[in-house]
Amino acid sequence: MSEYIIEMKHITKRFPGIVANQDVTLQIKKGEIFALLGENGAGKSTLMSMLFGMYEPDEGEIWIRGKKENITSPSYATKLNIGMVHQHFKLVSNYTITENIILGLENKDKKFGFLPWVDLKKADRKVAELSKQYGLEVNPTDVIEDINVSIQQRVEILKMLYREAEILIFDEPTAVLTPQEIEFLLKIIKGLRDGGKTIILITHKLEEIKQVADRCAILNRGRLIDVLDVATTSTKTMANKMVGREVSFQVEKKPANFRETVLEVKNLTVRNQDHFDVVKNVSFSIHGGEIFAIAGVSGNGQIEVADAIAGLAEAAEGQIILNGVDITHESIRKRTLQGISYIPEDRQSYGLVLDFTLEENLALKTYFKEPFSHHGVLNQSAFDEYGKELIDRYDIRSGQGIKTIVRSMSGGNQQKAIIGREIELKSPLMIFVQPTRGLDIGAIENIHRQIIQERDAGKAILLISLELDEIMDCADTIGVIYNGQIQKIADAKTLTTNQVGEFMMGVKADAEK
Amino acid sequence: MQKNNHTIKKGFVRLLGNERYQAVSIPLFAIVLSLLAGAVVIFALGKNPLVAYQNLLQGSGILPKATYAGHKSMLTDFMSFMNAWTPMLFASLAVAVALRAGLFNIGVSGQMLVAGFVTTLLVGYSDLPAPVAKPLVLICGIISGALVGALIGWMKEKFNINEVVSSIMINYIAQYVISFFINTYYVNPVSRQSNPVSKASRLTLMDTTVGDLKMDIPLGIVLAIIIAIAVKFLLDRTTFGYELKSVGTSRNAAKYAGIKVGRSMVMAFVVSGALAGLAGVTYYLGYFGSIQPKVLASTGFDSIAVSLLANSNPIGIIFSSFLITVISKGSTYMNSASGLESEIASVITGVILLFSACGAFIRYKVKSMKEELKESEERGNR
Amino acid sequence: MERIIIDGLSFSLPLFIMAIGGIYSEKSGITNLALEGLQGVGAFFGALVAVSIAGNFSGNSQVPYYVALLFAVIGGTLYSLLHALLCIRFKANQVISGVVINILASALTAFLTKYINRSVFGAASDKFVLGVSAKWTLPGLSQIPVLGAVFKDIYPFEIIIVVVAIIAWYVMYKTPYGMNLRACGDNPHAVDAAGVDVAKVRLIAVMVSGGLSGLAGISFAYSISANFSSSIYVGYGYLAIAALIFGNWTILPTLGSCLLFGFARSGGYFLVQKLQMPSSYSDLVMTLPYVVTLLLLIFFSKYNRSPRALGEIYDKGKR
Repeated sequence: MSEYIIEMKHITKRFPGIVANQDVTLQIKKGEIFALLGENGAGKSTLMSMLFGMYEPDEGEIWIRGKKENITSPSYATKLNIGMVHQHFKLVSNYTITENIILGLENKDKKFGFLPWVDLKKADRKVAELSKQYGLEVNPTDVIEDINVSIQQRVEILKMLYREAEILIFDEPTAVLTPQEIEFLLKIIKGLRDGGKTIILITHKLEEIKQVADRCAILNRGRLIDVLDVATTSTKTMANKMVGREVSFQVEKKPANFRETVLEVKNLTVRNQDHFDVVKNVSFSIHGGEIFAIAGVSGNGQIEVADAIAGLAEAAEGQIILNGVDITHESIRKRTLQGISYIPEDRQSYGLVLDFTLEENLALKTYFKEPFSHHGVLNQSAFDEYGKELIDRYDIRSGQGIKTIVRSMSGGNQQKAIIGREIELKSPLMIFVQPTRGLDIGAIENIHRQIIQERDAGKAILLISLELDEIMDCADTIGVIYNGQIQKIADAKTLTTNQVGEFMMGVKADAEK
Repeated sequence: MQKNNHTIKKGFVRLLGNERYQAVSIPLFAIVLSLLAGAVVIFALGKNPLVAYQNLLQGSGILPKATYAGHKSMLTDFMSFMNAWTPMLFASLAVAVALRAGLFNIGVSGQMLVAGFVTTLLVGYSDLPAPVAKPLVLICGIISGALVGALIGWMKEKFNINEVVSSIMINYIAQYVISFFINTYYVNPVSRQSNPVSKASRLTLMDTTVGDLKMDIPLGIVLAIIIAIAVKFLLDRTTFGYELKSVGTSRNAAKYAGIKVGRSMVMAFVVSGALAGLAGVTYYLGYFGSIQPKVLASTGFDSIAVSLLANSNPIGIIFSSFLITVISKGSTYMNSASGLESEIASVITGVILLFSACGAFIRYKVKSMKEELKESEERGNR
Repeated sequence: MERIIIDGLSFSLPLFIMAIGGIYSEKSGITNLALEGLQGVGAFFGALVAVSIAGNFSGNSQVPYYVALLFAVIGGTLYSLLHALLCIRFKANQVISGVVINILASALTAFLTKYINRSVFGAASDKFVLGVSAKWTLPGLSQIPVLGAVFKDIYPFEIIIVVVAIIAWYVMYKTPYGMNLRACGDNPHAVDAAGVDVAKVRLIAVMVSGGLSGLAGISFAYSISANFSSSIYVGYGYLAIAALIFGNWTILPTLGSCLLFGFARSGGYFLVQKLQMPSSYSDLVMTLPYVVTLLLLIFFSKYNRSPRALGEIYDKGKR
């Protein structure tokens, strides 16, 4: 038997238009924590998806425990004791924790000796046992849509353990967690390793690797750059190898120069479809020249705050005042015209009409105005000209210029198009929600520079992000939201990352009360 | 085998690969495939498919028949073909406008019936002179059709009712209620249909003598073609069309852009209903002149095939509605000439519909074939 | 009163079993507007087999009837494969696919009925004459006042439907397959990651909807119309869809809405007869189920939650 539990040899995987992995060779030892480091789009997830049987490699071989395997499906991977926690959890939202864990592996009980049925009570007990054994506390009968992301992640881990996985793959597991939750998770991961499991950790966060990983492979544009021993390598080296050039960690920022108040939100309450308050009595204000960032764990009402200001969600109670005018009950269109630019979280389903051309998308918020439209008739040449202008100004790259169907563009260029379009509205208030999600470091730096540039030009900026680093880097003022309520508003300079994390979990506020 | 496969793929890509022509080439592909399938069936039934298809064209006045009755010729056949074509064109435009907004108007038949019935009562049974009556018929049809459309759109916007279900329900309600009124008040005891409308209100000039021929001249066809071009302009060149298209492609993005999604959907149904209303009056006050109780016009359902086939492009619809009308109109002559059940026509239409529904898949398949070929070529070059 | 219950049940139950079929398909994530066509083709198939073998049995024999039920289920199942092919394999728009399948069904069956009548049976007719099936009355229970009507004049298919419905309920909510099926309608990615073949689960669900619709179609043919013709396409498939929407995609509440439709209809007929209105008034009664549907939709659509992944094309590669 070979020394390695997993060997991926000369793996190549192509997708239409791109090579996701090219000639990648990895060897992973039993009982180690092996990190895969790389930017978004470097091919980490694709590589691991092949190990988990979601895709098959075009070229190359996968060897597990010294034996060549054709991993054709997740169920085969499960048979090989490989488990994976995906970045987007694969959970059935209206099922209980137990039902999710046993899905696909339901016990083959027979009622009265012949009727197949699922014995949920028995399964509940087994899940409870398992959760105690690994220190991953959950209540087996809770329904997924009622529990928060960190518990959902525990369910995903339990799912692997229930399937007796020996090789555990984590895809960006910390992206949605608070610093405290991250610490807990890393402890769990270490514990699993000490229990003899092999762990593969996909991440782009260097500190985490430094904290837990034994070895680390660096991918860039689908190629393996290097495999490093973590203990003897500096984060700086790792970062440079990952990006392929020198990176600056600091966002350069002049001190803020606050002007008049642009946005005032007073006692805002937002209800969701189920008549449940998701934003509760939230108040804050933003000045021109200020970046106000809302920090919070995903699903705590921050998106709804942005939606309510932009008009996509209705304010059940409270007031929204823009430049002294009450816009609480105005239409989305009116708000845009009165000066709100909005870069939404979900750029593919909200920010863009994916099947429209680039020029049509660039005029998505102005198509009805002169010169694009004259008495309700569209002016094609105005679309063309404006599109070309913005492509140049914001360096938007695409296959067929202004006539490119946006769906075929890369995520980074899609985001450039949205940001360009929204900046061109020249609105006094700009809302950025998760502006850098899924983008590579170069693009992230660029967007941060643009945000700060807009601030320096006197705009009021509302920045909502799940990435605490992004908030700490950019914000002038930080508001922390938990469970629909603002826990704390303070000057960014007076808060540490850990403090913000505590507020994000609602811990600190309770203590202060 | 590998090699063979490769050649087939190459052929496909050459045939359908050019994205610029796919709007035309893929529907044509679907039609050819369907006609081939139809030919196989006809052959299996022991008839000659070529003759059967020729019969379809003859029945529509596109090819000459062997013999003609007195006062009849290919031209009179073509005129009566156009008489049937007119409502089909309007109905298909109705489906297309709704489809652009991502809505499925399967209730065109019901809207046609309501418009036809209301207009018959208000104008068809009046003694208004032709110059007043004919425009009034159109206006009446537009308004009544638009109102039914508005109802469906409103229920969708206000109560979140699936438009397919609600329009089917309205189809049946209209069908039975109108049948009740016809049977109770307006029935012609001989024909068992509603009393015929006045000659002045009729949109087709029936039995008009031209030279030594007697023909039905459909006035509506000119209007239908003009409207098709107007709809094309409306959809592609106006802010209204831009909004419909945004709503149809991405409801969320449209809302985000500040478009009133609900209002756009209602408006799409109003326009769609108005076009269905025009289809209704050209059908019941043009083509037929009376209403048969308890029957919905198959035109309303065939128009779905027409619209899908043309990918909701109004100009394309002029051609695809022509084709589908040839199949349905010509089937009567095919039945008498070659003894095939005329129902085979709607089967062929159904098959065309089936293949058109796979259009997206064909496009996707061709695209992946193209990439595969490109890759293998690149690898070959290396 | 008795008549209302008897006729109401014989209409509601086929509707119910068709709606269960719809629930199977939609809970697995496949929008199924094709019920109408599935019940028609199923009924056609059953009726065709029934008239073909009828000559081999005496006039009173019930054998052709049961054979017809069986073949209607088979026919519906086979035809549903087309919907599955379009929706699962060809990734077509599921709404369009459903409507296309309905249109094709009515064209195909109308053509085939006429053709087969002419070429095989030598008759120019557009229908297969089936007659009405035998009815049973349970001696003891039917004597109970009012409610006894439930056990009076029962068509055999009603009993079959009740049994099948119970099995369908059990499979849906208590077995591993049912659990996978309902999960597919919420998050197919989760099911895939759990090592279950989503396409297969959905295929089976669509086939179940075809089989059950076929059973419903032949039941209508044997009770309401006593023959098979294109009169079988009068929107009952869409009524079944409306019923499952009120039922919020769950089986028991759906039974409630089906019963409501059935009694609205039989109650209306009863009224027309009782008041001795002219027969054309029955046209107005015919609208009752549809009007009730629309009204109910207006009141309930807002509160209903369709399965989350309903109508979404599932692409394995997409994350």
